[in-house]
Amino acid sequence: MLHDIEVTVNAQAYTMTIEPHRSLLWALRNQLGLVGAKEGCDDSECGACMVLVDGQLVNSCSYLAVQVAGRDVTTIEGLAQLPDMHPIQQAFLAEGGVQCGFCTPGMIMAAKALLDRNPDPDDEAIRRGLAGNLCRCTGYQKIIRAVKVAAQTRQKG
Amino acid sequence: MTTVVGERVVRQDGRQKVTGAAYYTADMTVTGMAHGAFLYAPHARARILRLDVTAARALPGVYAVVTQVDAPPDRYGGFVKDRTVFACEEVRFAGEVVAAVAAQTPDIAALALEHIDVEYEPLDPIVDVEQALDGADLVHPDWEQYATGYPNIVRQGNDHGRMTTVRGDVASAFAVADLIVEERYVSDMAHAVPIEPHAIVAQWNGDQVTVWSSSQVPFLARAATAQILGIPESRVRIVVPYLGGGFGGKCDVHFEPHLAILARAARRPVRLVFSRREEFTAVDKTHGPMQIDIKTGVMRDGTIVAREGRLVIDAGAYAADGPYATEIGMMMFANGYRIENISIEAHSVYTNRTPSGSVRAPGGPQVCWAVEQHTDVLAARLGLDPVEFRRRNLVADGDVGPTGQVFEAPLALTCLERAIEESGYADALGPGEGVGVACAWWYTLPLASGAFVRINADGSGTIITGAQENGSGAVMALPMLAAEALGMSAEDFSIIYQDTETGPWDLGSAGSQTTCNNGRAVTEAALEVREQLLDLASDVLEIDAADLELSGGHVRPVGDPSRAVAIATLAQTAQGGRLLLGKGSGDVPAWTAHDASGCVGRLGYSVFPHPTFSCHVAKVRVDAETGVTQVLDYTAVHDVGHVLNPIGAEGQVDGGVVHGIGLALSEGTLHREGRQVNPNLLDYKLRTAADAPPIRIAFVGDGAPGVGPHGAKSLVSNRSLPRRPPSPTRSPRPLARVSMRCR
Amino acid sequence: MTVHRYFAPESEAELASLIGRHDDVVLVAGGTDRVVSTRRGQKPLAGTLISLDRVSGLRGLSVGDDGSLVVGALTTHADIEASPTVVDSWTALADGSALIGSPATRNTGTVAGNIMNASPAMDLGSPLLVHGAEVELRSSGGRRQVPFGELVVGPGKTTAQASEYAAAVHVPAPAPGTGSAYVRLQYRRAMEIAVVGAAALIVLDDGIVSEARVALTAVGPTCLDVREATDVLVGQALSADRLDAAAAAAEDVARPISDARADAEYRQALVGTIARRAITFAAERARGRAVPVPASEVKPITNGGGA
Repeated sequence: MLHDIEVTVNAQAYTMTIEPHRSLLWALRNQLGLVGAKEGCDDSECGACMVLVDGQLVNSCSYLAVQVAGRDVTTIEGLAQLPDMHPIQQAFLAEGGVQCGFCTPGMIMAAKALLDRNPDPDDEAIRRGLAGNLCRCTGYQKIIRAVKVAAQTRQKG
Repeated sequence: MTTVVGERVVRQDGRQKVTGAAYYTADMTVTGMAHGAFLYAPHARARILRLDVTAARALPGVYAVVTQVDAPPDRYGGFVKDRTVFACEEVRFAGEVVAAVAAQTPDIAALALEHIDVEYEPLDPIVDVEQALDGADLVHPDWEQYATGYPNIVRQGNDHGRMTTVRGDVASAFAVADLIVEERYVSDMAHAVPIEPHAIVAQWNGDQVTVWSSSQVPFLARAATAQILGIPESRVRIVVPYLGGGFGGKCDVHFEPHLAILARAARRPVRLVFSRREEFTAVDKTHGPMQIDIKTGVMRDGTIVAREGRLVIDAGAYAADGPYATEIGMMMFANGYRIENISIEAHSVYTNRTPSGSVRAPGGPQVCWAVEQHTDVLAARLGLDPVEFRRRNLVADGDVGPTGQVFEAPLALTCLERAIEESGYADALGPGEGVGVACAWWYTLPLASGAFVRINADGSGTIITGAQENGSGAVMALPMLAAEALGMSAEDFSIIYQDTETGPWDLGSAGSQTTCNNGRAVTEAALEVREQLLDLASDVLEIDAADLELSGGHVRPVGDPSRAVAIATLAQTAQGGRLLLGKGSGDVPAWTAHDASGCVGRLGYSVFPHPTFSCHVAKVRVDAETGVTQVLDYTAVHDVGHVLNPIGAEGQVDGGVVHGIGLALSEGTLHREGRQVNPNLLDYKLRTAADAPPIRIAFVGDGAPGVGPHGAKSLVSNRSLPRRPPSPTRSPRPLARVSMRCR
Repeated sequence: MTVHRYFAPESEAELASLIGRHDDVVLVAGGTDRVVSTRRGQKPLAGTLISLDRVSGLRGLSVGDDGSLVVGALTTHADIEASPTVVDSWTALADGSALIGSPATRNTGTVAGNIMNASPAMDLGSPLLVHGAEVELRSSGGRRQVPFGELVVGPGKTTAQASEYAAAVHVPAPAPGTGSAYVRLQYRRAMEIAVVGAAALIVLDDGIVSEARVALTAVGPTCLDVREATDVLVGQALSADRLDAAAAAAEDVARPISDARADAEYRQALVGTIARRAITFAAERARGRAVPVPASEVKPITNGGGA
């Protein structure tokens, strides 16, 4: 059975026809061609698929696509209007918070959700805020630093 | 003096990666693409009695179903030619690929798998290494007839790689030792766990196939694919889109031949993307379980006089590149200590488990963990401080390694002292806290590698290299080297890489050597361009080339900016006339001299060439009632020669340390009857951001001669362990090894 | 996996009617458990899929006239963790919610989802047991309240009828002098599932335990009520000896299994330790001392706690 929904993704309105069992991640990648969010696991355990739904951080691999009907979704592609970069993206780049880059889209969305809630997090708050995003390359050190730098930039700006 | 090298240069692929614009293999689509799926063996060991794909092929939307019948019969493999593309007559590990399907949609492909009729006769799996050594059934009954890639391989029963290290006279030395300590350490299987699971897309164009693959070693994958398909390498192109980490798990040929065969049968391109479960069960490249026996004789003053060891690695069902891990593991028995008399024996044993292979520092962490634990035990038994014990035994100038290599001004002791100083090792500890120190050594592999450097008409540069970027930033360092040679900036260069059709041969992202060897190639290629630019400028300025220099994007008379001519101007002049194109591989540095006579079965790592040293200190807190351990603070000191880009170097250490903490405290592949029982990220537990300690990093040894460009050496991060191993009354399984090993 | 019908009702009346009309219903709230288990092939989504996320009036926390807490079924773990009311008076619940998964999981995972999936490792189970919570089930035919322990009866099993849905959780007002805590053994500080968990509720009256309840997580087919702990704790001061007796009572009740997360032997060996910690933290809170949420992150106070 197919279901029609309307959704706004990265400020762009879409209509989608989708099977109810499909995940939001599947829909973003296969229906809308937004492949920035990644699939790193099957079970909300790695965070590479994280996006914002109505400003809330969710694992899009375990969120039904039909449930976003009428809602507002932000993915990594919508965080800034290229060629500009969001301060978090700039900080990840400058501080070396990105290596292979596969966890990066989810990691940055988690950082965005964290800073929206807590504009001046300490190390412990950052560690907790990013605890759902696994990274194998960086040991998290430069990611944590990048989030701190981004917080400072945002406060100044 | 360098102007670019040593700076904190931001990686060139970073912008795409932080904006979501970086495409990985799973993000690829090709017009007309079908979806692939594999059928896996559900048993660790079974005979295939019937394999009928008729019903699956008949389903609407199914384009092809292939099995070994559709694949070339010849066996392949790096060390032992022991495997076929699909399982042949028998399955040897749970997760072996039995058949492949290409279909219109992933759902149809999944349905087709269910329609493959296969009947197995389960056999008792061989999962115990001692049993496998002691004449159990052979995992490969006919394997005496298999060809090998190395004439040195010693075969015996299920052992496909007996090796020895022999130096001095162990028996006599034990006879005079004041104390002899003998122990056994057993390590678990672990997985590489890149966050990007494997993905492959294959597309035929006439008799040529292009395979986009999440490979760390595209040239090796090309060679093996060509050999398996029986076509020249010129008809196989391997392209790696962005690679989402590898850590060894994406070394070797993996599923490129499978997809090439499937796409040919389906007569259309096919994409296959692994789930996380498949990334655990089907990827035949694990951090192999090891059984490590170690016996050491010491004098009262702490001098190690003799060491005897036995290493048995559960190599799993196929040899793959596993024997490298065995040999490297053997070398780790000496681990940067002066040991005049040493005798080690190693075995790579076939079992019915997932094959082991080149996972991050293959063979190193397991043995280093055992040796460093053992070192603490020796120190304790002698009543010596573990740091003092190490101080007395670490190699110094003129000391000799286990296969006769002579150390020249090794920095082992420098690393130790610096780590002790930086870490506050001697500071008071809180309740339940412990501090541990561990030392390690590693090698810098001198290997052939090639690159081209080109200056474009507008003066921008292009580096065309065979090197592979796995995320570590190894390739990202290359523009710095070209810029350094040409007086330009790193941002002036773009890089074309990880495509076997464009760059010269390179081993790939393996062996911690890309920046060293390919960096040397890029530097040489850039220097050739430098000569071309100087010649051009000499004509334009009418000044002898010997009196010119390159600086700030210009060629100018030495020290005279007033008469500088822009490289862009020269490039414009040259266009269509003279080529600004350099090629390089550089003279491959010699391997360190050594003498492995008396050793048997050695395969290529009979020495740790151009060794590097490191020392780590960890502070931990142990919950004595539960055994749950937290790492509170971490110090890592490495001798890596000249640091080309601190961002990249620190990132490598950070990642290695946290990976190692995971191996020590919460990772490990669990089996029941030969099947993995935790093939997911909830039960195979990587450390999270909340679990990672702050890490303090120091590099020593700048200015010492290195193998790589500007005195660079390899960087592999090593391991550490607590001085006071906590002894919880009851250990949880993930903490069965309460000691930490970090690399 | 084929879903034939999908509904996203906006009112409870609509929801009740849909559940009444179809006999192959799967309800999805946040999807954190359900969508995952579907993709793993463990529990296929049924013919009729009903999403609860738009049903109005089912999300939120309120305190009734009698001082009891009413938790709407669609209240998320993030809502609970952030509620000063819950943290103050029903602290064990906050301890449980704050431990679940990651921030993303807590944003979408709901109380009803946690309860109705009926996992023996659910982090809200033991806190709900010690607080004497009741789950309100509604259907087109009416409503009833079922004590938590009578609702969840086995792994994945509840006594709810096919026509019923969980609408709210009612948690009685705590007596003055109450403290509660939930502690779980975890190998990592996040992204975990309980290996062994324990909740305790302690009421202190002038230093004497006047009421006590202890419950266990992940050591039996459901969360287990340790009734004997009440007997050994009530009427006396909380001495080391009483703690030992309560821990022993917990050990008697536990019947763990071996799985990928731990051996039964290890779980059994840790039951007393974890129960003791939960009781100790609950008592600390009963004394009015601050023990931060989640209590699992706090260094144990007991002797021999080590860390």
